[in-house]
Amino acid sequence: MQPLVEFWRAYQSTVAFAIVNAFFALSTYSVLSAGILSFATVTYAAMGGFVGARLVLLTGLDPVFLLPAAMLAGAALAYLVALIFLRLDSHWMALASLALILITRVVVINVPSVTGGVNGLSLPVSIPLGVLVLLLLVAIVVYHRLSVSWYGIATRAVREDPAVASSLGIAPRRIQTIAFAISGAIGGIGGMLLALALQFLSPDTYFVNIAFTMIAGVVLGGSYHWVGAIIGAAVFTALPVLAQAVIPDFQEVANGVALLLIMIFLPRGLVDPRAIRLRRAAREGQGEALAAAVPAVAAARRAGGDAP
Amino acid sequence: MAARAAAQADTTLLQVEAIGKNFGGVAAVSGLSMTVRSGSVAGVMGPNGAGKTTLVNLISGLLPSDSGTIRFGGTEIQRLAAHDIAALGIARTYQNVRLFSGMTVLEQVMAGCFLRRGTSLWASFLGLPKAVAARKAVEAHAMELLERVQLVRQAQLLAETLSYGEQRRVEIARALGTGPRLLLLDEPTAGMNVQESNEIGSLVHSLRDGGLTVLMVEHNVRLVKEFCDHVTVMNFGRLLADGTPAECIAHPDVQAAYFGNTADADRIRALR
Repeated sequence: MQPLVEFWRAYQSTVAFAIVNAFFALSTYSVLSAGILSFATVTYAAMGGFVGARLVLLTGLDPVFLLPAAMLAGAALAYLVALIFLRLDSHWMALASLALILITRVVVINVPSVTGGVNGLSLPVSIPLGVLVLLLLVAIVVYHRLSVSWYGIATRAVREDPAVASSLGIAPRRIQTIAFAISGAIGGIGGMLLALALQFLSPDTYFVNIAFTMIAGVVLGGSYHWVGAIIGAAVFTALPVLAQAVIPDFQEVANGVALLLIMIFLPRGLVDPRAIRLRRAAREGQGEALAAAVPAVAAARRAGGDAP
Repeated sequence: MAARAAAQADTTLLQVEAIGKNFGGVAAVSGLSMTVRSGSVAGVMGPNGAGKTTLVNLISGLLPSDSGTIRFGGTEIQRLAAHDIAALGIARTYQNVRLFSGMTVLEQVMAGCFLRRGTSLWASFLGLPKAVAARKAVEAHAMELLERVQLVRQAQLLAETLSYGEQRRVEIARALGTGPRLLLLDEPTAGMNVQESNEIGSLVHSLRDGGLTVLMVEHNVRLVKEFCDHVTVMNFGRLLADGTPAECIAHPDVQAAYFGNTADADRIRALR
């Protein structure tokens, strides 16, 4: 029992960071699922993180009650970003979002009244792991609902072919604006959760390192289903920790190599609904052919037996 | 019902006036005018490169026009975005099938149905009963449409695994999902055999009998003769002839455009 407890103590914070990163990956997935590659999640996270942390310091309320403020701040900022970004073509949008990350850092340094400037902000409170898990469960329910609703089908249509989607009455800009707002809301929450997990914020907290984790998470997990974002974030949070334990000298190389291997061998990620459907169709097709060819198998199937 | 159909046939649903579209220096469509009467099957014919698909793209709002006006049921639509035109009641299919990759047949059709039967994002987000009911209604309606094009058995398959003819029918069902008053079919029978083409023809007729107006681009002279009430023939982006299928096919300019003119024929004979 003792080694298990020790193991848990050692890796408890890894689980917490995996959940925080899952929020960032979900935020990136939200826009990617509508056909937009954007790293602006980092900026929404900074917004949510600093607004949330400042409110915690000002009001002394339990941070959980202030999460909606961080969420709204992130969503509002994302809406503004959408108004500008949706005028750009896709590759320019990705570049513009990188520029936005750089701008974010400069802004953070220059508004010390909110962010603490170069000295950063210390937070006296943390967030229990149980609450993090609960929040992730809520996010899962929300993403599941969205993906099976008309919005889920509309985003996929816009991603695959915006012109055709438009001729079906689906306004691509409108769908993408909603995607941005959702991305901002979930990114804002993630930002505040990161602040609570670290209990210290500096201008470097919300920088390109987050962008790497979230994009790697989505690419690894698969950008065609929200489950992929969560799995990818978990893997890319655990990977450096494992690498540190096993091959400490090559920790950073291991990250890059893992990402490369995934892009080469699993270009659509670990969770790929299309491949799953194709496999299922192939299996059913085989089953039908077999059943037609061998009446005995068909009879066994009818009898409810799991005949091979 | 018959009386209503007769009354409808007298009204103009779509009026295209002197519409023009240039690609660089090439006039794909120039100064073209045509009308489509409500409740009819209108055909657009013309040799390759005549501008037929461009015309469909202009009407459906996929391309902005350079000049001219398009009126649909009294509303000028040439400046509207494609999704606004869809909301007014124009739906279309594509010459090269354009289905969404990774979606099942049912989902493709559902994507079209949300225009008339959707709910607010908040309702689906919160899982309100009306959102659940709306989604069920959309699914049921999509299945009805699939039954109409005889694809119920394929509903759960990925659309890209279907045969070409089946994919074309998915596109028609998807377009019908938007609840259109005018359906634009861009070469609906391209690459189909005789039997499949005839099935599309009778589907178009049954849609017309249900009150829908259809504008179809069609190469096949036999099908145009058989299925269209009115034909517009284009060549080099311009109007070549306009009238009943028989009139158009007999028109000397149309004969010349399709089979070469008599002078050419004489020259060819002289060469032998």
